[in-house]
Amino acid sequence: MDSLTPTQRDRGLQRLRRLTFGATAGGLIAVVGVGYAAAASYAGKASSTATAQTTTTTTDTTASSSSSSSTTSSSGLQSAPQAPTTGSSGSGTVTTGGS
Amino acid sequence: MTLALKSWKALGTSVLVLTTRDDRLESATTAVRQVLEDVDAAYSRFREDSELTHLNASPGRAIHVSSLLATAIDAALRAARISYGAVDPTIGHAIRVAGYDDDFSRIAAGGPHPALPRERGREIDSGERGRQMKLRAWHVPGWQAIRLDRGSRTVWLPQGVELDLGSTGKALAADLAATAAMAAAGEGGVLVSLGGDIGTAGESPSGGWRILVAEDSRVKPSGDGDVICVPAGGVATSSTTVRRWSRGGVILHHIIDPQTSLPTSGPFRTVTVVAGTCLDANIASTAAIVRGEAAIDWLTSCRLPARLVENDGTIHYIGPWPDPTSAAA
Repeated sequence: MDSLTPTQRDRGLQRLRRLTFGATAGGLIAVVGVGYAAAASYAGKASSTATAQTTTTTTDTTASSSSSSSTTSSSGLQSAPQAPTTGSSGSGTVTTGGS
Repeated sequence: MTLALKSWKALGTSVLVLTTRDDRLESATTAVRQVLEDVDAAYSRFREDSELTHLNASPGRAIHVSSLLATAIDAALRAARISYGAVDPTIGHAIRVAGYDDDFSRIAAGGPHPALPRERGREIDSGERGRQMKLRAWHVPGWQAIRLDRGSRTVWLPQGVELDLGSTGKALAADLAATAAMAAAGEGGVLVSLGGDIGTAGESPSGGWRILVAEDSRVKPSGDGDVICVPAGGVATSSTTVRRWSRGGVILHHIIDPQTSLPTSGPFRTVTVVAGTCLDANIASTAAIVRGEAAIDWLTSCRLPARLVENDGTIHYIGPWPDPTSAAA
């Protein structure tokens, strides 16, 4: 095999760099394009995972009653639209308990 | 505001209907009766002709079910998912083996020491040294074994799976009954209590529905205890102190821990929760009893007002539960 001249070797290296750059850029474009197409065709919904509140509270008595509609917590359970308040027994009182 | 009230017995428990308008009580009551009849026919575990009995007797086949039973099973599966399996509808066989195999009034009248059923299952020592008594427990298959197709309303149960919708079923019935009663009443507000599981619909009385929080729903509303006012939503209490029976000298109750297949033995005997619906309140209260010590952190993360009674009577208040020492409304 004939040996390369320094000029030929430099040209070869330049060609190799152009090919490497082209392949990298093409790959990036392909990844972005395919990702966009996938997102558009299989649309989802953004969600956040709430961190569980781990404080053990046994005396929290603040009754917030400003909300007017039920909300669903991260647990999936629906809360009442308004917090209960302290009352006294009287006409129309109903008992909750085990049965 | 004067509330109108009607009460009677159904589904093996007490039923109470309250309306804010006296002239709407009759129509509301009629609607509630109809819902309860439908519920009994759809998912009573003690009726041989109920849909649920037929479904439990048909494992390995896709069974078409009514809209009501599909809704009840869907609710039970949601409860299991949300509670990480603490509230599991596949405890049917386990609770029957434990002795709760009939309407509770007949079990209570059946004598204090009936023999244990001789069925295949796991044997667990009762923990009482000196006794030779062993409890036979049936492995709970787990809610994931159930296949429900909501579109076609078909349910498939594998062999050995027996559904019990008792926990979520009664709470769902309270919600459905309250909604139906409100639709029939047309105006005002309605409260329906099924053995202490409470659903509401429409407008509440001024300040909210007054609810005495007790461990036993048979306690008179004028009795001692915390009274809370609930403007809307549902309230449920789960307790191991009521619906107890004796089996071979061991006291049992109806809240089964799916992990052990036996009645729970955690630190809390009674849990009351207020939520957006009676169903969700019941899921939280029952799961709290089953979860035991982990219940406080879990309920706190759920942000639902809750009241927990330990076995020794110590009371814990969670979330926005009203201060029991504050002035009465």
